Amino acid sequence: MYVIEGRALTKHYGPTQALRGIDVLVAPGEIVGFLGPNGAGKTTAISVLLGLRKPSGGTIRLFGRPPNDPQARSRIGVMLQESGVPESLRVEEAVRLFQSYYPFTLPTDELLRRADLAAQRRSLIANLSGGQKQRLYFALALAGDPDLLFLDEPTVGMDVEARLRFWEQMREFAARGKTILFSTHYLEEADALADRIIVINQGRVVAEGTPHEIKQRVPNAIVRLRTDLPAEQARAMPGVQHAVADKGHLVVSTSEPETFLRALFRAEWQVADLSVQRADLETAFRALTREEPHE
Amino acid sequence: MNEIAERNAAPPPFDRQLNPTALRSGQLGPMLLRQAHSEFIKLWRIPMFSVPTLLFPILLFLLFGVPNATETLPGGGVAGPYMMASFGAYGLLGIAFFSFGIGVANERAQGWMKLVRATPMPAWVYFAGKLVTALAFSALLLIFLFLFAAVVAGVRMPLGTWALLGATLVTGMLPLTTAGFALGYWAPPNSAAAIANLVYLPTAYASGFLMPVALLPPFVQALAPYLPPYHYGQLAWRAVGVDDGQAALHIAWLFGTALLFGALAVWGYRRDNGRQFG
Repeated sequence: MYVIEGRALTKHYGPTQALRGIDVLVAPGEIVGFLGPNGAGKTTAISVLLGLRKPSGGTIRLFGRPPNDPQARSRIGVMLQESGVPESLRVEEAVRLFQSYYPFTLPTDELLRRADLAAQRRSLIANLSGGQKQRLYFALALAGDPDLLFLDEPTVGMDVEARLRFWEQMREFAARGKTILFSTHYLEEADALADRIIVINQGRVVAEGTPHEIKQRVPNAIVRLRTDLPAEQARAMPGVQHAVADKGHLVVSTSEPETFLRALFRAEWQVADLSVQRADLETAFRALTREEPHE
Repeated sequence: MNEIAERNAAPPPFDRQLNPTALRSGQLGPMLLRQAHSEFIKLWRIPMFSVPTLLFPILLFLLFGVPNATETLPGGGVAGPYMMASFGAYGLLGIAFFSFGIGVANERAQGWMKLVRATPMPAWVYFAGKLVTALAFSALLLIFLFLFAAVVAGVRMPLGTWALLGATLVTGMLPLTTAGFALGYWAPPNSAAAIANLVYLPTAYASGFLMPVALLPPFVQALAPYLPPYHYGQLAWRAVGVDDGQAALHIAWLFGTALLFGALAVWGYRRDNGRQFG
């Protein structure tokens, strides 16, 4: 039994393939993170799973029902990117409005407290900071006391402290047996929150597993050097995900740069012009995809 | 035995996992009230909308109605009540255009509707909220205008005539709101206000809301019968005793308007849904 059951989902906008057949199965009580660079298809996947966009192919069930079924919707909370709340409403008014939509709700005070907005309850939404708006969306997402939360890049615009507090709220929410699907382009965030990470790139699932498994597979460092070590041989070395020759350099993507370097020196390959760069996900994915000419 | 242990261990996966503090909510009545309330204060707090909407008809009446309130019109009838009907129609036409047109166009551009769509709120509640808001603004406007006319200009009519005028103005506005909706769904969000303004003033003028049709330039007079608001105006003037004897024609025009612009609005709504949610 899955709370979210999306199978073989495809979506194209005209000629653009946003989703190329992904399966998303989420069990009750799970926290699942979509991880991928910008434009990977995370937002499209969430919109399609929510029934806000029609998939070009595939099937979706939320709580065993079609995603736009009011019964399914009344158990779901949603945070989307760039939602834009009517600016002339006050914080409390927007929260009360959303409370009225759902068959069950939480006390207004509790929602405002959970979203850390108790002090801003009388503020006009126009006067909120970016982070405060993001927290208001969180309060709106909790308005129906949902069993399932969809959060699309929920901590964008939050400072570090707010982000930590938000994660804390998420864990508390999940501890009550509830389910969360969120997207992020920070490996760190997926690692901190998720039980399971689904790595998406170019509309496909490229990896799936526990944060520990994913961290081992997603390269977090790029090693560049001039060497006589051939790329094919480099690929077979410990901790190496990918290796390509690039303008006289060897470029190695690795999750364990130290292990690779140790092996490199031990085998006494020539090493010159060496640099090790921490890779953000964007770079890591580019490294992953550059190597696949069949595309 | 095993079954009991299983049941105690974890509730079936699709059961509601309510918080201990959860409350019942979501009844249609309170939802509709909340929706209407939000829509109303959203407009009320935009001074660019609420001030001119509620003030202009009174201002017009002060400038043109008060000095001539007791004069008799060339076609019969008294100027005071006639102008009250004209400026009331002018105000309500504005509400029909602006409250729907600009509201819908703006919200269409924001991601807000996406968020609302993900809730269990039925779509009709959204439209009902807007309609109730337009009716509330209309009622406010007419109450202010009527009070002003009665107290300051000394307009006197039988109680039934006041009621008939108010009812005619409000009912006649309803078919015109479809034009506002259509505008909201077809105009680009940033230019909805400009288009509404561009259409509103000339239409109100050519329909005889700012000065009687008989005093308009001949080509405007010739154009007027093809404008839906003109027929709305005729019904309003009829309520205060200036009857051109063609009420059925005017009502038919308003029905036609509702059908035509209603279809345009539904078409635009579907097109927008396909674009945003397809």
